[in-house]
Amino acid sequence: MEVYEHDRSNTMIKSVSSLRSLAPVLIVLLLLALVPLFSPSNRFLSLAISAGINIIALYGLSVLFGQTGILSMGHAALVGVGAYTAALLARDFDIGFWVSIPVAGIMAAIVAAIIGIPSLRVSGHHFVIMTFAFGQLLTIILTNGGDFTGAASGLDMGKPVTMFGADLDALPRFYLLVVAFVTVSAVASWAIIHSSYGRTLRAIRENEKLAAALGIDVGRHKIGAFIVSGVFAGVSGVLLAYFLRHISPGQFASFPSIYLALMVMIGGARLLLGPLAGGILVSFLPEVLNLDPVQSRILYGACLIAVILFLPNGVIAGIADGWTWLVRMSKRRPAAGNVSEVGR
Amino acid sequence: MNAILDIKGLRKHFGGVTALSGVDLAINEGEILGVVGPNGSGKTTLFNVVTGVHKPTAGTVTWKGKDITGIPANQISGNGIGYTFQQAMAFPGLTVLENVQIATEHSAASTRTDFAWPTPAALLDFVGISGLAREKAGILPFGSLRLLGLALALATRPSLLLLDEPAAGLNDRETAALVGLVQQFPAHGISVCVIDHDMKLMQMLCKRLAVLDFGAKIADGPTADVLHDKKVLEVYLGGEL
Ligand SMILES: Nc1ncnc2c1ncn2[C@@H]1O[C@H](COP(=O)(O)OP(=O)(O)O)[C@@H](O)[C@H]1O
Ligand SMILES: [Mg+2]
Repeated sequence: MEVYEHDRSNTMIKSVSSLRSLAPVLIVLLLLALVPLFSPSNRFLSLAISAGINIIALYGLSVLFGQTGILSMGHAALVGVGAYTAALLARDFDIGFWVSIPVAGIMAAIVAAIIGIPSLRVSGHHFVIMTFAFGQLLTIILTNGGDFTGAASGLDMGKPVTMFGADLDALPRFYLLVVAFVTVSAVASWAIIHSSYGRTLRAIRENEKLAAALGIDVGRHKIGAFIVSGVFAGVSGVLLAYFLRHISPGQFASFPSIYLALMVMIGGARLLLGPLAGGILVSFLPEVLNLDPVQSRILYGACLIAVILFLPNGVIAGIADGWTWLVRMSKRRPAAGNVSEVGR
Repeated sequence: MNAILDIKGLRKHFGGVTALSGVDLAINEGEILGVVGPNGSGKTTLFNVVTGVHKPTAGTVTWKGKDITGIPANQISGNGIGYTFQQAMAFPGLTVLENVQIATEHSAASTRTDFAWPTPAALLDFVGISGLAREKAGILPFGSLRLLGLALALATRPSLLLLDEPAAGLNDRETAALVGLVQQFPAHGISVCVIDHDMKLMQMLCKRLAVLDFGAKIADGPTADVLHDKKVLEVYLGGEL
């Protein structure tokens, strides 16, 4: 009897603490949704939209990397699958944004499965190389797809995003659309992290051998996590195609993939605020510091090294740890004084 | 006697190394069987081959009359065989409670409805680490980590537990507590096969002992007889015996 009561209070504490991790993200996103009220420049809104589109993919990477411990270096290719799906649906079937979203999600999931099933049979480091290779392969396929994929020059997106008959093309409206999709992604990622499925993924991250001994099908769940992250990437790709109005293979090659990995590492993959912080920092830092592309690449490199060395769990986790440390120090000081006085 | 697990002619080669050279071993229902042998004699490999960590080079493993030779590691617990590793391990970044929750969730062997410790809380209580439920497993002292490992294996509701040096690294008090736990298993329908070097521990736990040397079984019988066997004494000459 007592045991059961103990269990119930556990679940209650659990759900309160998991809500606590969602709240800051929702508050930040609510504040970000207010940005258009301050009539920001088009340049600012464009940057914010690209950052947001990346953040959607980052929430998928946070399930893959943060929870399962698998790093993908070809993730932009899955974003590309979503973008090309949207562009082809619009061109060949006159199908618009809202139908493209689920179709692109499914397409990216299928491609993730095709990449994941052979790749995840090999262990950690090899998987990173495999995803990188598949990413390259996809750009080669797109470049050589003739008229169907538009070859090296890519595809145009002829349609606007419409909602209830209204056109969402104006930047402030498109920005709000992206914020809404970021919110859905964050909530979806949160729901996965706090489900028993998320716990299973963390078990695999922590100790594969033990996970298998306890009955977890490690291979199947790794592929599953990769597919889940693919869905986020596919959705992100649709938004990208509708935002840029023109897509080409180079946008989904190795550099964008590396940027995604960089963002998730800089922000931190395990905490819900991580992807948001990583996406915003990496997108806005060069702008704020007024750097040219070469300088910003150098800065990214330096940032990545600094983060890996000093904040292995990302900026947000670093700040949280720093805060806990400060609180503990400020509590300990008087306490330590007491102890030494008692000692005397 | 009724063999619950029947190992026949089990061989395992690692490249040129013969870790097991055709071992026959039967684990009977309701017993605590001890497996001893010098370092490198193939004890851990025996468990690894049975539990699907490694595929055997030759031989068969029969579990309750069913051939389970070379089945994948993640299907072993579902068949009702739980095991602990020689290197104590857990999921370090998760809390002790989460560790056990994961272990209970994935046991397809939950067909055992009569199980004595049905919840994570009951399991932690049984091994005596309830007080640490909220701690991250990574900060547990070594003795508690071993106990958590035992709770994880138990959480899969096994009818056979394979324990690889469960007392290694434990102090006398912790070892005594562990013996107290393991001795309760047969009464709860859990047969045990335990590997250890510590002969005092083995004498306390096991009525029957099997001895491995260079990947071959050189003795198998009542503990007292095996400890006086000439071949066994030779193997352990100058050793712990
Ligand atoms: N994964 C492996 N790869 C290569 N050789 C191994 C492996 N596991 C065990 N061995 C070898 O098999 C032999 C038996 O090892 P092991 O079963 O660990 O012995 P024990 O547990 O009795 O100390 C040793 O010679 C060891 O080096
Ligand atoms: Mg061993």
